[in-house]
Amino acid sequence: MLQLLKRYRELILVAALLVVPLGVYFARARRPAERSALDRAVVWATAPVEKAVSWTITGALRAWNGYLALHGAEERAVALSREVNSLLVERQELLQDRAEVERLRRLLAFARAAPGRSYVGAKVVGVELSPSGLQLLVIDRGEEDGVTRMKPVITADGVVGRVHTATAHGAEVLLITDRSSSVAVQVDRSRTRGNVRGLGRPEMCKLDYALRAEDMADGDLLVTSGTDGVFPRGLPVGKVTQLKKSGNGLFQDAMVAPAVDVTRVEEVLVVSGWETRTSEIGPASPAARGRP
Amino acid sequence: MKPLVHILFALLLSALQASLLRWAGGGAFSLLLPVACVVYLAIHAGNVDGSVGAAGVGYVMDLTTGTTKGLMTFLAVAAFLVVRVVQSSVDVRGRVGFAALTGLTTFLVSFGALTLTLVASPSEVAPGIRLLPRMLVEAALTGALSPLVLEGMKRLDGLFRREETGLLR
Repeated sequence: MLQLLKRYRELILVAALLVVPLGVYFARARRPAERSALDRAVVWATAPVEKAVSWTITGALRAWNGYLALHGAEERAVALSREVNSLLVERQELLQDRAEVERLRRLLAFARAAPGRSYVGAKVVGVELSPSGLQLLVIDRGEEDGVTRMKPVITADGVVGRVHTATAHGAEVLLITDRSSSVAVQVDRSRTRGNVRGLGRPEMCKLDYALRAEDMADGDLLVTSGTDGVFPRGLPVGKVTQLKKSGNGLFQDAMVAPAVDVTRVEEVLVVSGWETRTSEIGPASPAARGRP
Repeated sequence: MKPLVHILFALLLSALQASLLRWAGGGAFSLLLPVACVVYLAIHAGNVDGSVGAAGVGYVMDLTTGTTKGLMTFLAVAAFLVVRVVQSSVDVRGRVGFAALTGLTTFLVSFGALTLTLVASPSEVAPGIRLLPRMLVEAALTGALSPLVLEGMKRLDGLFRREETGLLR
């Protein structure tokens, strides 16, 4: 028997290596079992190897992607940079368009809020804010569009000025901040009257002829009173600041922060006509026509 | 000792294969590189060393492929025997021959695994015949990479080769 085993030991070994796994397989195929301790040990031993191999491959791939595959990256970077610049310009244009749409929307809402007035919309095409000379805006609408001398020019925020000279297709607007500009106003809260005069500085005007005894405070909103025959009544002009009530004299001394930042105006409305009320003198009145 | 080294090499191959598949295809295709070890053993090893080594490699495949224990061990030993029979009549010493034989053996192992799983597993979890194209790709890829395994196994065997002084100097 032993001799037989010795003689066929290779065959028996191979047969055992075939039969035992097959038996194990069929035994476990329908009832999967947990891994044995040996299995777990082998898997545990494999894990670091797998990690090391994975680390090596990852490193090689990173090296490839980080260094060798950068061939042509400069060209791509330049192309992308060009594209980014182009997109930035496009974005800037879109932002400007959006801001313009917003301003126009506000102007439209403002115009719709006063249906008794008629307007001519205009774009500011030139600015002249010389402190020594006149403070003017040049707009792209003129007499052919119904823009004539002395017509009020406003935005949704308030009064900008009045038309100084008009040509067929353009006009110059004298700003309320100009030294020679004067607008009849009243305090919106207390109806105290006065005159807003320009100082030649875009950020500040002066309030004249506000009687000392009248009710006025810092921060009061000044609106056009309509008594000068140029501006319709009720348009915001600015806010009272630096109010000083001196002990003597007839008038209060105050500065006015204009409601409209004249340095940033881009679109304006020229009030071409409005319905006058009893207390308001319209542009068609003789007083308005005679004024400079 | 030698079969143990072969089994460890198969273990290393399995780890390498898992990493490769993870990075290369993300599971889109598969490999069975340890089969190349079995083919090598069938060609170059003895009956006892080879069959024990093949069983060990099969055991490693069982563990790494996640199949039911015993399946790949059986198939590895069976493949060892088949290749041993084939190589007695066909010269497969070259790389191309080795690659072709490995590809064929890989397909047979996969097909055997599929068949045995179909026979033994409950029908609801048994794999379908639609895996056949995937098995062909697996066999082709394993065959293509098998010359590298051949080189590795040759180097390992070289470690156990003793230089004999010989009679002539």
